[in-house]
Amino acid sequence: MSKTLPTSDEQGKGASRRDFLKWSGAAVAVSLTPSVVTRAAGERADETIAGFFEKMPLKLEVNGKLHQLQVEPRTTLLDLLREQIGLTGTKKGCDQGQCGACTVHVNGRRINSCLSLAVMNEGQKITTIEGLAKGDELHPLQEAFIKHDAFQCGYCTPGQIMSGVACINEGHAGSADEIREFMSGNLCRCGAYPHIVDAILETKKGGNNL
Amino acid sequence: MGNYFFETEGPIDRVDGKQKVTGQALYAGEYPLEKLCYGVLVGSSIARGNITAIATKEAENAAGVLAVITHLNRPAIPGYTGEGDSGPAGMKLMSSPAIYFAGQPVALVIADTFERAQHAASLVKVAYKTTESSTDLSTQLSKAAAPRRGKSEYSRGEKNAYKKAAVWIEEDYVIPHEVHNPMELGSITAVWNGDQLTVYDKTQGVKASQRSYAQLFGVPQDNVRVVAPFVGGGFGMALRTWPYEVAAVMGARKVGQPLKLMLSRSQMFTLVGYRPHTIQQVGIGATRDGILTGISHDATAATASYEEFTEGVVRMTQFMYSCANVDTRYRLVPLDVSVPTWMRGPGEATGAFALESALDELAYKLDMDALDLRKKNYAYTDPESGLPYSSKFLMDCYDQGAEKIGWYKRNRQPRSMKNGEWLEGYGMSSGVFGAHRPAATARAVLAADGSLLVQSAASDIGPGTGTAMVKIAADVLGLPYDKVRFELGDSRLPPAPTQGGSGTNSGVGAAVHDVCTAVKEKLILAMNEGKAGFSKQPQQEWLFEKGRIGNGAESISFSDLLKNMGQSAIDLTRDSKSGEERQKYAFYSFSVHFTRLWVHARTGVVRIKQIVTVADAGKIVSEKTARSQMVGGAIGGIGMALMEEAVFDHRFGRMVNNNFADYHIPVNADVPDIDTIFINKPDPYINPMGAKGMGEIALIGYAASVTNAIYHATGKRIRELPVTPDKLL
Amino acid sequence: MINFDYLRTASVNATLDAIKREPRAAFIAGGTNLVDLMKRGVTSPPRLIDINNLPLKNIERTSSGISIGALATNSAVAINEMIRSDFPLLSQALHAGASPQLRNMATVGGNMLQRTRCTYFYDTTMPCNKRQAGSGCGALGGYNRMHAIFGASDKCIAVHPSDMCVALVALNATAVVRSNKGERRIPFGDFHRLPGDTPQTDNQLKAGELITAVEIPSNKFQQHSFYLKIRDRSSYAFALVSVAVALSIENNRISDARIAAGGVAHKPWRLLNVEKALTGQPASVETFQKAASIATQGAKGYGQNNFKLKLLPQAIIQALETASS
Repeated sequence: MSKTLPTSDEQGKGASRRDFLKWSGAAVAVSLTPSVVTRAAGERADETIAGFFEKMPLKLEVNGKLHQLQVEPRTTLLDLLREQIGLTGTKKGCDQGQCGACTVHVNGRRINSCLSLAVMNEGQKITTIEGLAKGDELHPLQEAFIKHDAFQCGYCTPGQIMSGVACINEGHAGSADEIREFMSGNLCRCGAYPHIVDAILETKKGGNNL
Repeated sequence: MGNYFFETEGPIDRVDGKQKVTGQALYAGEYPLEKLCYGVLVGSSIARGNITAIATKEAENAAGVLAVITHLNRPAIPGYTGEGDSGPAGMKLMSSPAIYFAGQPVALVIADTFERAQHAASLVKVAYKTTESSTDLSTQLSKAAAPRRGKSEYSRGEKNAYKKAAVWIEEDYVIPHEVHNPMELGSITAVWNGDQLTVYDKTQGVKASQRSYAQLFGVPQDNVRVVAPFVGGGFGMALRTWPYEVAAVMGARKVGQPLKLMLSRSQMFTLVGYRPHTIQQVGIGATRDGILTGISHDATAATASYEEFTEGVVRMTQFMYSCANVDTRYRLVPLDVSVPTWMRGPGEATGAFALESALDELAYKLDMDALDLRKKNYAYTDPESGLPYSSKFLMDCYDQGAEKIGWYKRNRQPRSMKNGEWLEGYGMSSGVFGAHRPAATARAVLAADGSLLVQSAASDIGPGTGTAMVKIAADVLGLPYDKVRFELGDSRLPPAPTQGGSGTNSGVGAAVHDVCTAVKEKLILAMNEGKAGFSKQPQQEWLFEKGRIGNGAESISFSDLLKNMGQSAIDLTRDSKSGEERQKYAFYSFSVHFTRLWVHARTGVVRIKQIVTVADAGKIVSEKTARSQMVGGAIGGIGMALMEEAVFDHRFGRMVNNNFADYHIPVNADVPDIDTIFINKPDPYINPMGAKGMGEIALIGYAASVTNAIYHATGKRIRELPVTPDKLL
Repeated sequence: MINFDYLRTASVNATLDAIKREPRAAFIAGGTNLVDLMKRGVTSPPRLIDINNLPLKNIERTSSGISIGALATNSAVAINEMIRSDFPLLSQALHAGASPQLRNMATVGGNMLQRTRCTYFYDTTMPCNKRQAGSGCGALGGYNRMHAIFGASDKCIAVHPSDMCVALVALNATAVVRSNKGERRIPFGDFHRLPGDTPQTDNQLKAGELITAVEIPSNKFQQHSFYLKIRDRSSYAFALVSVAVALSIENNRISDARIAAGGVAHKPWRLLNVEKALTGQPASVETFQKAASIATQGAKGYGQNNFKLKLLPQAIIQALETASS
């Protein structure tokens, strides 16, 4: 596949976009800005043909950077991040919303990116694990994870940290038990849970810089 | 034991922690490569029979598809030698129309994007002739037979002696089919460049994988590079090369592009092994005052029809307790399922559940404390070999754990402790696993700037191998941690064993210790030759501290000493292995687990309230990561005890809960605070660090501490795992 | 997953037009169930209509109670102050479901429309009348530990997986739905249906209809309501059995009682007989035990799920005790 690496001026130039408009044919592209894309296509063509053209323009912000992309509607936000934007910090652990490894923030709220179609995130602000630190300065929860050894293999860790930051911001980190419940959407097979709770409790108490 | 301190700088943070918390750590399916394509495997819908027709046209014509490979057009795989569909490397991928288990790969679809590959895979249509399958161990016990390889029976003293004992019990214990399920999916990215192969692989052993790919694809071993610096958990599932990995390497060669293949979570349940369903019978008898007079342990486990898998289910019974009469038997039943493999603790964890449950039952029948019963039958020499132990501090484990949880303060009577509507219970159990020291090689390069690079083709699936190795190197040479770098996970590095059987820290650690000691000796030699230019000349004892060597009055940095030696670096490689001490001593690590839990009297819900887990794993090299490993073992044990069971619909021979919503592993809310205690006394013989293994004993036996505690809480003995609420109603 | 058309709408009317043009289309809101079903090939709508921009997210007091927009997320409803103070049962039920991430995505309307979690429904190689009419019911005689004890048929013994809906049926909620023909209101107890001979149909929603809101009438259950969920692990798991209890207690006597159960039927299961047995009685363990003893009248186990016949009454007693204390 071609890596659709983000550029600031792709919109209006890419072959895919032209293909999209061509394919749309009778379709009415009311607007390609965040709010509304209306397509009233007629009969669907055969998948083999349709699949080749069926890309939509998508504009979203990832870790503060604007991306203008062409994506198939069936592409999930998770696969978009990992396979097209090249941000592999967000992990695929089940692809079914059953493990939390793919947790990212959309407009500050934690979600499972494996069950969110990329096109549903038009105009949204996405934050992934790669966007949490400020340059070389780690986020306090990242620091706390290292301090408390809140992981082993590290695969669930980005999801745990994104979930943990949200857990604190939501006000669900009031006690160890509350954290346990509100961090239960993130599986960890190595069994780092007690240390994850410690890291979140300490970061919550630190109270700064979330 | 050399001049060894381990207290240089206090606890060490995980050396790859920053990469892991920032998303920079790259796992096997995450390497950005040009022209990357994607492979998806199509699995058989039937459990047994033959493919009669396979229609691939539609898939081949789908957008972006590069190839569809089935048994009809599969490129030759040179290493698939011999007759039949199974060889030394296990099942031969797509080698005939025969189906041996549901989910067996029948086609590989390769396309330019993941979405297109996945969609095209759904377009492959397969027709089968189905033969009746059998996937249920419990109905096939009459087919049990001794394994083709290995010893299946053991006895010392009299067989079935327990039946003559004053007090005895005899019970069946059942472990269901359990699945490793590391969080990282089975992942591989294969890149061919002519006859050079690079594989980014989810493997617990880069050297073993390298050998395996070279053999399978008929290329020299040096042509194959296996890269796995980060592995997202393994628990045994990545100990061998699986057909999905063969498929990816084959597919990449076929299309001439780098190919990535990530299994789906449901494929993780059927394509990469599991802990097999095992039915055990334990008979155990004692005198009225609790001296064991006989233990008989009989285990029957499921395996695949096309490949035999054996593990040490009955091993612990042979050597854990002092008992004159012990006999064990281990048999297998081949079923129409995929082949099992070692899963953390492996067979010992299965056997420990039975043995440690049986001891608890016997203790109650004797009206004796379960811990006292174990102490009374403590083995001071290895009952199996008669050898003395290299070290054994199990008694300390018993005492320190009991003290911490308040074992002797409990009311021992079942159903006697209550907390509101909850019944409270205490349970304990023990675990043991051989303490090994596999051969390993390490290279150390002390550079002109005084920093140290150490290399070995070890793996780190999570325990913190790199961290422990940095700790060992830093301690030997008196270097600050940040001056030491350890490289692992690349087959180009000096050979190291596969990470399994709790051997890495011991074997690779010894190699790192030895090579660093050799570097140290070079430096000492230079010091003795007066290369430092100190005013006071040579002496016997040099102080290595913070990257400097001194005599108390003067010191010189490694860097300056190298300069004075006229050397740009010291670059040494050392092989390291065990010696004749293995014949003189019995080497084991031990663990004891204590659990306090509540059972809801009305609804059967179990809440674990407190865990104390104690290890005699010799000297602890890196305390922080070791603690995580013990905690993780207990949590794996919670899953085993309370929730994990892969269920089949035997009518179809298919697994019905092959996903994380239906196959439950513990979540954060299931886990209480966990106290870990290390006896932390060095083993004088195992290796220069005195460190024994820990990965397995962290889990072995844990499940029985839960079921024993449930018995204490409720008076109900559950002998079939997992203990879900319905079993306690 | 097939590559489908994707359409984003901005108003209810545009949405209703869009679904009329392509009746095979599916609405997508949170996507937490639909995307999973599409990945597994259980359902393959040729077009998705993304309704997330519709103005249906408000939670508002009305003269008779509260109105919750169909696109309000599960987490937004669960933490809403009015919901927590006036309808704590609903907040509890929502918090018992799924995970924080999924609750941030899932909507009220989507929660109502989620499909069963029956393994045979998800595995497209297995028989399932709900997925493919006439293919048989795999769970009958198969893996049915999670399955129905009430109202099942020989075509389907699946259960509805929602926690939220159990609370809503206990609270006498009403679903508000819109189509080109206008608006209609469906009492919550009637919204979901029993499988009968047509298990492929989960509810009473007609083609072209869109759920716009759920309304809950005011009540006096604030002091005494409780949602109890029994599951195989402490969180992030579907119910073996769940019980929503809401009581109004005056002078230690139960003046009004609502009980519904989850994990036991093809729809959230209201236990009217138990409610009747409680009403007018003293709020005591004896009353609870007596009432719970009739809870499984008409229930039937299918083997692996027989334990639910025992668990349900126990869970009811437990929930009643907790709610009344």
